[in-house]
Amino acid sequence: MKKLFVAIVLAALAIGAIGSMGAPASAEENPQAAEHKRLFREGAKLWPLYCNTCHNARPGSEKAPYEWDQIMMHMRTIGNLPPQDAKAILEYLKAR
Amino acid sequence: MFSGRLMNFQTQQAWTRLGAHQGTNVALSHRWVMMPAGRIFSTFLFALGIAALSLAGPARAADSDGTDAAAMKQIRSEIRQMREERKRDREVIRSLEIKVQQLETKDSKVQAGTQHLQNTDQRLKETTLELQQTNVQVKTLQTKVDAPIAPAQFSDVFDRYLGSHTFTVTGAAGGQFIYDQQSGALDNLHHASQNSFFFDWEPMILYRPTDWILFQGVFSAGFGSTGTGTDLSTADFQIFLNDYMTVEAGLFDQPFGDWYETQSPMWVNRFVTAPLPFGVEPVVPPAELGIQLRGGMQFGQLGQDFDYTVWGGNGPNFSSNVLGAALGGPNTVASSQTNGKSIGARFRIYPLPVDSELGRLELGASTFNGKWANGNWFNSWGVDFNYFVGNLQTRGEWVESYRQMPNGLNTDHRQGWYLQVGYFLNGLNVPGFPDKLNSYIHRLEPLVRYSGVNQRGISTDDIAGATGIGLGGTQVGLVPDFGLSGSPSLFAPHAREVALALDYWIAPSIVWQNEFDIELPRAGGLFVSPGGIETPAGSVPNDHAFLSQFTIGF
Repeated sequence: MKKLFVAIVLAALAIGAIGSMGAPASAEENPQAAEHKRLFREGAKLWPLYCNTCHNARPGSEKAPYEWDQIMMHMRTIGNLPPQDAKAILEYLKAR
Repeated sequence: MFSGRLMNFQTQQAWTRLGAHQGTNVALSHRWVMMPAGRIFSTFLFALGIAALSLAGPARAADSDGTDAAAMKQIRSEIRQMREERKRDREVIRSLEIKVQQLETKDSKVQAGTQHLQNTDQRLKETTLELQQTNVQVKTLQTKVDAPIAPAQFSDVFDRYLGSHTFTVTGAAGGQFIYDQQSGALDNLHHASQNSFFFDWEPMILYRPTDWILFQGVFSAGFGSTGTGTDLSTADFQIFLNDYMTVEAGLFDQPFGDWYETQSPMWVNRFVTAPLPFGVEPVVPPAELGIQLRGGMQFGQLGQDFDYTVWGGNGPNFSSNVLGAALGGPNTVASSQTNGKSIGARFRIYPLPVDSELGRLELGASTFNGKWANGNWFNSWGVDFNYFVGNLQTRGEWVESYRQMPNGLNTDHRQGWYLQVGYFLNGLNVPGFPDKLNSYIHRLEPLVRYSGVNQRGISTDDIAGATGIGLGGTQVGLVPDFGLSGSPSLFAPHAREVALALDYWIAPSIVWQNEFDIELPRAGGLFVSPGGIETPAGSVPNDHAFLSQFTIGF
């Protein structure tokens, strides 16, 4: 019984070690791409709520990415958007 | 004896030669080895015979001299034969040597050829590998060439082409038809039923020289019943000091409440007109010339934000010193009505996390204070809310101001409010209706708004100056152009308005808006002449107006 318990503990530790090694490896695979994906997902959640608070949310395809850079600066000022939220919405709009 | 010796000698010589050939000449022994087996065997027998003869010689020499000569002859004959055989053997050996040399030469040539072939084979393998790699590269390039360019890549290229200093033009344009039915007449005041077309264009220019500086400016140009009018609505620099502090300096919409800053653009406002507290008789100034410091931050989960705006400017301005005089645009430096400046502050909080899926709730509070004339204060405060969830959106504000009057007169106290509700019908499918008809219904947004203003008096000069609907009077530009309909009932001291609207959304920023206004002013209050003479307003007749506007936000 004691051996069985030790074996289970060792197996759990091994699985945990493998899991903990695997996660950072995938995250470090391409940090820039991972950050873009994170911002895009966050922007997709924020865009309909934040924009519709004042006006209809306009799709990213309506403007060129360089125009969104300027429009989002203005929106960040007028809406007092937290910088990370403005960045996420900009990422979403520019990705269309 | 002699012959025996001679024979012995010759035989020994022959053996010696043979021995020399066999013992010292390795090449020859090699050649012996290479001789045919039959020839070797015969030679061996011959040598054995000679040896036997040499052993038997002495015995026989004693027998007879006659046999010696014959024996000698035979021996010589045999020796000659041996020599001939040796000669032939040498020729055979030489021939074999030549053949061996030829074979060795051929072998070396074959080896050289084999090496050459191996080298060639290796080079071919290397060349094949290179060709395979080149083929893969060509295929990769071909795939890239054939594949459509990704938008992100194209945008990067396009951004580089445009450069870092770029302009963007946004804004709005709209055409309106307004019918204003004025049911009653007020003595000595401008009034008449009117109907007319109008057009208004409000381009916004954005210029971004760096990623921390932005310039924005809005022009308003209208063509209405009183002709054309132009106005610089806003123009300011936005400087991003850090993540949580932005400086905005110049001419800007008053950041008091939500309406002036975010709801005044034509395509943003769900109605054609402005709510009463922000229309013909505004309770707080619509714009300011000064400087702001503002920013926002997240205090909890995603969507739980808090933001602030503090500002200072040239202060409020009024059309005259009489009770009820309308607020105008911001003071210029040359204004004679003020010696003071203004300060303001606004705070907003968004308590609902995005992941709660409860929608977006905004709660705000504002204050604006300044001196409008020597030593006379103007104080105001307000609260506002905005709640948006699914297809439902509702917003409202309460605004109150106190204007200290000169010469000990009673304070000019004003209140204003509005509450509006709208609901998108994009989720409504009417049973029995064709899909096409339902698709039209999905684009509709019915709205209702109730707004009102309370103030002690109204300046008759302001009513007279409002030349009618559209542009005109003191409200040009800085007050939203369609915030007035020209109806005297709007100028009632206790104005009330119910506005019903039905918007048809063609796109998120293209809308056809239809609005029906019911003016329900309450009795009471004063009309004040430019000389300060106060007349009880009494009851003001109800009016109605219909407004239809097609507007595009670009």
